Amino acid sequence: MSQFTQALWKFVRLNWPRIALGCSSVVLFVTAWWLYSAWLHAEWPFSGRTSGAAEYVPYPRQVLEALIDSFAGRDPVSHLYMTSHIYASLKRISVGFALAFVLAVPAGLLMGRSRNAGAFGKPIVELFRPIPPLAWVPIFLIALKFFWGPIAIVFLGIFFPILLNTIFGAKSVDPVLVDAARTLGARRRDLFLKVVLPFTTPYIMTGIKLGLGVGWMCIVAAEMLGAVGGGVGYYIYSMAYTVGLYDRMYAGMIVIGILSVLTTGIAGLVEQRLYKWMGMK
Amino acid sequence: MDGNEVTTCINIQGLSKVFTRDRLAIRALEGFDLEVLDGEFVCLLGPSGCGKTTVLRIIAGLELKSGGVVQVHGREICDAGSDRGMVFQEFALFPWRTVKSNIEFGLEIKSLAPERRGEISKRLIELVGLQGFESAHPNELSGGMKQRVGIARALANDPEVLLMDEPFGSLDAQTRNMMQKELLRIWSATGKTILFVTHSVDEAVFLADRIVVMTARPGRVREVIGVDVPRPRERTSREFIAVRGKVLSELDEEFEKARAKELARK
Amino acid sequence: MDKKIIVAIAIVAVVVVGVLSAALLLSRDSKEGIVKYVTVAPADMKGALSTGSVDAYIAWEPFVSDSVVSGVGTVLIWSDEIMPNHPCCVVVVRNDFTSGPDGQDLTKRFVKAHVEATQWMLDALADDTSANYTLLVNMAIQFTSRDATVVESAFGHIEFGYAMNASFKSALEQFTEMYIDTNMTTDEKLSERGYSSVSDFVGEYVNTSYLDALASVTPSDTILNPTSPIKLGYLRGDLHQMAQVVAQNKTVNGGVKSLFEKYGLNVKNATGAPFANGGAEMGAFAAGAVDIGYLGAPPAILQHLNAGVGTTIVSQANSEGSGLVVRAGEGIVSLKDLENKTVATPGESSIQFLLLKIALEEEGLKLEIKT
Repeated sequence: MSQFTQALWKFVRLNWPRIALGCSSVVLFVTAWWLYSAWLHAEWPFSGRTSGAAEYVPYPRQVLEALIDSFAGRDPVSHLYMTSHIYASLKRISVGFALAFVLAVPAGLLMGRSRNAGAFGKPIVELFRPIPPLAWVPIFLIALKFFWGPIAIVFLGIFFPILLNTIFGAKSVDPVLVDAARTLGARRRDLFLKVVLPFTTPYIMTGIKLGLGVGWMCIVAAEMLGAVGGGVGYYIYSMAYTVGLYDRMYAGMIVIGILSVLTTGIAGLVEQRLYKWMGMK
Repeated sequence: MDGNEVTTCINIQGLSKVFTRDRLAIRALEGFDLEVLDGEFVCLLGPSGCGKTTVLRIIAGLELKSGGVVQVHGREICDAGSDRGMVFQEFALFPWRTVKSNIEFGLEIKSLAPERRGEISKRLIELVGLQGFESAHPNELSGGMKQRVGIARALANDPEVLLMDEPFGSLDAQTRNMMQKELLRIWSATGKTILFVTHSVDEAVFLADRIVVMTARPGRVREVIGVDVPRPRERTSREFIAVRGKVLSELDEEFEKARAKELARK
Repeated sequence: MDKKIIVAIAIVAVVVVGVLSAALLLSRDSKEGIVKYVTVAPADMKGALSTGSVDAYIAWEPFVSDSVVSGVGTVLIWSDEIMPNHPCCVVVVRNDFTSGPDGQDLTKRFVKAHVEATQWMLDALADDTSANYTLLVNMAIQFTSRDATVVESAFGHIEFGYAMNASFKSALEQFTEMYIDTNMTTDEKLSERGYSSVSDFVGEYVNTSYLDALASVTPSDTILNPTSPIKLGYLRGDLHQMAQVVAQNKTVNGGVKSLFEKYGLNVKNATGAPFANGGAEMGAFAAGAVDIGYLGAPPAILQHLNAGVGTTIVSQANSEGSGLVVRAGEGIVSLKDLENKTVATPGESSIQFLLLKIALEEEGLKLEIKT
């Protein structure tokens, strides 16, 4: 662990200006929030009549307490700990991601390299891509039931960024590299595995990062409409509409934000490792 | 340059190539003839657009000919293969592979065992002078070093001919001169047949046994000039300058013809 | 290098398979004495039942009759069998509205129109051969986009009403106690809003003064609020709230004016109406976008206590009118048969959920979210 803390300390020492800037923007945001809350509540440094919307903008401290509460105790609506909600949402994201990855990468490589496959797939892709995943909710919930329904929504959200980035990457393969490989004896299979696939990998990683972000956005709305075992989106929806405890609702939003940052962060780390291993950038 | 019998490596007769672009037929090559003997170092020289790179790519199997005969050691060429290695101006190294694994690329395709691959790549790395850089990635190498990898990689497959498409065009003048000397050293160590495309007269005279001067488009052989200057060649020697002058005059005439054609088309 | 890619892909594949199988396996547990629930929008419940996603559902009309009439399900128990005369939808007014110009007067008139509309419905429903009955059914068909069979079946189980008597108030007290028991609201919140106890809260929150003043309200020839209409809120397609549809209809009152107009009221739909659920409607109340609205009692209670939305209940809209539907021919004949099965509910704070909880607890069963 000492090696880790050493590395961390080194990182902080080298990057402290940027870290300071980042922290100050967060502090600024929380201060603005607190001021707005105080204004609505007509409390110091403001005075006057409390606005009807006061409870909808709780103080930062209240949200923090609600956040801690959600982990320490069971939520008032579904009586689950926040960890159970997180687990439920993570399950959905990972299964949806796995499915999207397994389908989008081969499809993308194929559509990027084979003109026929590209022509075949393009109209369907262009037709379905702009439809927001949430529009599928009613059909999926009925056709795929409560376990797979939200997963399918997440799948759709993650699928298209990965697919499109993979296609773009596959199309962008430097033709000189293909020529070189051919003069070294590569046949179609070798070209695909040893040239196209490694070349496209950074693009796939970009698609993954984009897809994960979209996935978290879909998860909230997907869980609002029928989910098994809770979920952070379900939590947010319950706290707002079912029960009106808005400090907890905001706490749920913070949890989603943190989870999103964590998953994209992990994806970024994987990307860095991959780049180093592949010797690019 | 050895043995009692001098065998033909590349035999090209009446090669023609037509490109169609926007329904316009561009006749790149017409009636191109060339014979390259085993162990020879031959340069293809000509004005831009004369089709010298096209000739190389057809021999490599990366382009299809429109007509004529193209044979390597008596075999008709139809597709790319590891029997004709190629070195590119842009280096074309696989950025995600190390130096060692770039060189071993063709050997992997042939499914050689790792130990065997290691032997071959080790020998080649020593040959091109890159000891110590086996685990480096292309982005850590200078231009000259990258091209050494390119040469080693092509040689790994023990090709029948080494095709080089302006390989030093991306390098600065000093590195270029150094690499030319290196190439000659590698050539004499391996005895490979080399077909080298360039548009630098100096380079051609320094390197080649014979220089094939091409006409402007549609390209064919204008003149084949033998370079009888003994090696190692001095760029300032009288013989060198004489050959250079001869080649230049041939080339200049072609340049004028090409320009006239351009202007006539407008 | 090639091998590394294969190993990496293999690792990813193992992880994926692992997560998938873990997810599937972990969702297969069953416990003693538990009935599982999932939250589903009532409109999706019939579909969920027919495809087997759930084994039963509890909802309000017309979503019950949807399944019954089409043969997808049968009613296991009606809500009035669990708690007779249980309150359901209420009429709520925004406090800032009543304290505004003419607020009191306009609200009184609104309640009067609501009461007359309710009475008209009760009379029409009492005689299914009358012209008014046909008119009511047609209005309902339009409002809910259902056909006549479904609508008539639904009407059979809804009790329209407006009185807020002692049993109404005590039922609301019971619901509030249940909310406090399950932490959906707290005693702190009660006192934060200025109430000393649950009965104090219900006593103040349920304002019967408008109902009491009905006799003094007379029709008006002119519209009293021509330039600032009353912003009306209600839930989409909710048959319980039929009164406001009737009150806006011109034929009901003899063909010239609607009941609202009879009492000099200019009423228009609020921005955002019809609302998808009561929580959303209470949010609109908080934003001042709704003046008077129809919604279920639970959000009226919870959002007022938890989010401080300044409202008051001024009349009842209906009682009863919900049912627990099970799939036809599945062999579920009693509440006990629901053990380890999955029931769809409209939400943990809904009356339907509370009633289901009450009914199951009598059988010694607990309601738990399905995981």
